[in-house]
Amino acid sequence: MPHIEAQQRAVAINRLLSMGQLDLLRSNTGLLYRIKDSQNAGPVSFFLSKMKGSDNQEKLVYQIIEDAGNKGIWSRDIRYKSNLPLTEINKILKNLESKKLIKAVKSVAASKKKVYMLYNLQPDRSVTGGAWYSDQDFESEFVEVLNQQCFKFLQTKAETARESKQNPMIQRNSSFASSHEVWKYICELGISKVELSMEDIETILNTLIYDGKVEMTIIAAKEGTVGSVDGHMKLYRAVSPIIPPTGLVRAPCGLCPVFDDCHEGGEISPSNCIYMTEWLEF
Amino acid sequence: MTQAEIKLCSLLLQEHFGEIVEKIGVHLIRTGSQPLRVIAHDTGTSLDQVKKALCVLIQHNLVIYQVHKRGVVEYEAQCNRVLRMLRYPRYIYTAKTLYSDTGELIVEELLLNGKMTMSAVVKKVADRLTETMEDGKTMDYAEVSNTFVRLVDTHFVQRCPLVPATENSDTGPPPPAPTLVINEKDMYLVPKLSLIGKGKRRRSSDEDATGEPKAKRPKQSTDNKEPIPDDGIYWQANLDRFHQHFRDQAIVSAVANRMDQTSSEIVRTMLRMSEVTTPSGAPFTQPLSSNEIFRSLPVGYNISKQVLDQYLTLLADDPLEFVGKSGDSGGGMYVINLHKALGSLATATLESVVQERFGSRCARIFRLVLQKKHLEQKQVEDFAMIPAKEAKDMLYKMLSENFISLQEIPKTPDHAPSRTFYLYTVNILSAARMLLHRCYKSVANLIERRQFETKENKRLLEKSQRVEAIIASMQATGAEEAQLQEIEEMITAPERQQLETLKRNVNKLDACEIQVDETIFLLESYIESTMKRQ
Repeated sequence: MPHIEAQQRAVAINRLLSMGQLDLLRSNTGLLYRIKDSQNAGPVSFFLSKMKGSDNQEKLVYQIIEDAGNKGIWSRDIRYKSNLPLTEINKILKNLESKKLIKAVKSVAASKKKVYMLYNLQPDRSVTGGAWYSDQDFESEFVEVLNQQCFKFLQTKAETARESKQNPMIQRNSSFASSHEVWKYICELGISKVELSMEDIETILNTLIYDGKVEMTIIAAKEGTVGSVDGHMKLYRAVSPIIPPTGLVRAPCGLCPVFDDCHEGGEISPSNCIYMTEWLEF
Repeated sequence: MTQAEIKLCSLLLQEHFGEIVEKIGVHLIRTGSQPLRVIAHDTGTSLDQVKKALCVLIQHNLVIYQVHKRGVVEYEAQCNRVLRMLRYPRYIYTAKTLYSDTGELIVEELLLNGKMTMSAVVKKVADRLTETMEDGKTMDYAEVSNTFVRLVDTHFVQRCPLVPATENSDTGPPPPAPTLVINEKDMYLVPKLSLIGKGKRRRSSDEDATGEPKAKRPKQSTDNKEPIPDDGIYWQANLDRFHQHFRDQAIVSAVANRMDQTSSEIVRTMLRMSEVTTPSGAPFTQPLSSNEIFRSLPVGYNISKQVLDQYLTLLADDPLEFVGKSGDSGGGMYVINLHKALGSLATATLESVVQERFGSRCARIFRLVLQKKHLEQKQVEDFAMIPAKEAKDMLYKMLSENFISLQEIPKTPDHAPSRTFYLYTVNILSAARMLLHRCYKSVANLIERRQFETKENKRLLEKSQRVEAIIASMQATGAEEAQLQEIEEMITAPERQQLETLKRNVNKLDACEIQVDETIFLLESYIESTMKRQ
């Protein structure tokens, strides 16, 4: 546009920028301007109607937060990306929040950290912790209930298999339940308000393995059979422990909290041990 | 030898043999092998008493002797063997279950006397059995000898090492102490004895003199003393074989708990078949073919060959990995993985202790770290599904008790804590050792408490003993009912109650010692098996 003066051009460009019709981009040669097409203009005009009079800094911050998408972004990262001082950032964030354009979500990993994301976006699982966290609190009761339900299901399955008294191969195979079966059972029980996926159920079943109540095997399954993932299936079975509670814990010394201080002739000794006296009175 | 072990040994020696033997024994355990004069000097006891104490200890296989250069004989105590004395009731009970009362008494006599000749054992056991039988019946020697021979055949009883017969004994002065040797083949050879006779009741007079040099029985003037044909051949109880039996029992019951009764019977058959063929420290039994197993199943277990094969396949595929398949000849060759089995049993013991002491959530974390080998703090919380604060608390508690240890992996050479990975891990061998030490101390505590309880009520016990003696003597001289009643009432009702409580407490403490000993056995076997593999 050679027929307009540079200064007029600058003024026009600035006005168009402030109206949000142009995008300001930087390249190696200099500054580039691009006209926003009508699709992008849509939400921006809505945004503009809210942000009439706010300055470029706020727009910049908003853009950064928009780019962060689902996961949200931490205030320090915003500062790095926009090169604005901390006080400015805080003011801008408060402004945007009061205008209900962004929201702060507390991260479940570090409870002091606040990540910001657009108001209408759902926070990602890694931030909120997924199905086990509701409002940043780990739902241990929920996990416990699921734990017990899964175990009961597997236990009854093993019981029925044992009662059937067929040949041992069939008995063992029928006492197994695949993770898909357990998932279906839990969904049908309806004890969960949140939708649970098969991976969630598998994490619950893993905790049962760590409790020593359940064992797992992986078998190769054809692609396409119900519940198979990448050609293999996980099967779970209820088991009982291989030894009864061991001898040491039947003596009071096995569970004694002051074991290391106990010796003959001291304050705490076998002769005047109160734990032993109580135990002998059973 | 740790302090706890020494304490336990001293308590056991004192209870079984008395003060002097205890002093000598503990001194030897503490200071290793020493010659006779040094022992006498250090403990301040007279030479005579030291000799007698050493005699007792050697007779019971608790002390061994060696000739060193320059003709010095040094004595060394075997701490492990002393700790076995805790297990005597279990050995006797096993003999009872396998060979009924006769076997029980034979093993009891052997354990109480250390070493004995066969004829002496047979005679004593027959006498004891006759005591308990009804009037007019006696126990035949032949029956007792048969049980003895059966015990030797299954290796529960073995010969003691002997003095080797020297051809020319005048090649110089005899050595200060004989070196005992025993041939592997001869260990289980029973000499041909014709022991004819029957058990005698206590009141009747003894006929034959025994071959035992230490016998203090009064010599009978009536009969001539025939030389006992097996003089010099002494027998002792083979503790290793008993341990093998206990281990087999533990494995069979583990399989029964995890799978079902039939599988455990199959495993028991396999173990029985490899009893005498597999040495006690081997990690695997000899491979057994499925046909052999089928033939050796106990009568009355009629399962078809196919079903047996299915069970064997199931056992081999089980995650427990007790049974492994080593080949396909003869219908499938199967071995029992003894080392793995002991490892699983020791791990289960550790888990059980953690569960009882700290709770089931801690047990969950413990098993998790066991399975995954090395984990970070965050990963522990995620996998175990336990809130972060509680998980941290539990991990630190277990760390302070040394069940779990930390492994540091630095990111930078200066090992700065903020730039280091800290991984939690479980070292089973060291945890087992720690727990074993705790078991020893617990048993020592239980024994002390038992002695304390008896000492507290000593006066009462003495009184009741006196009353019993009076009653017995009065019954012998034929007193009346009324007089007996009067004597019995010398013990008042609350005192009787106290005696009852005392008896109950002492029994409880005794039973508890044996239960802790079961844990000791599992942990010791695992540690021994692991050390042999290294």
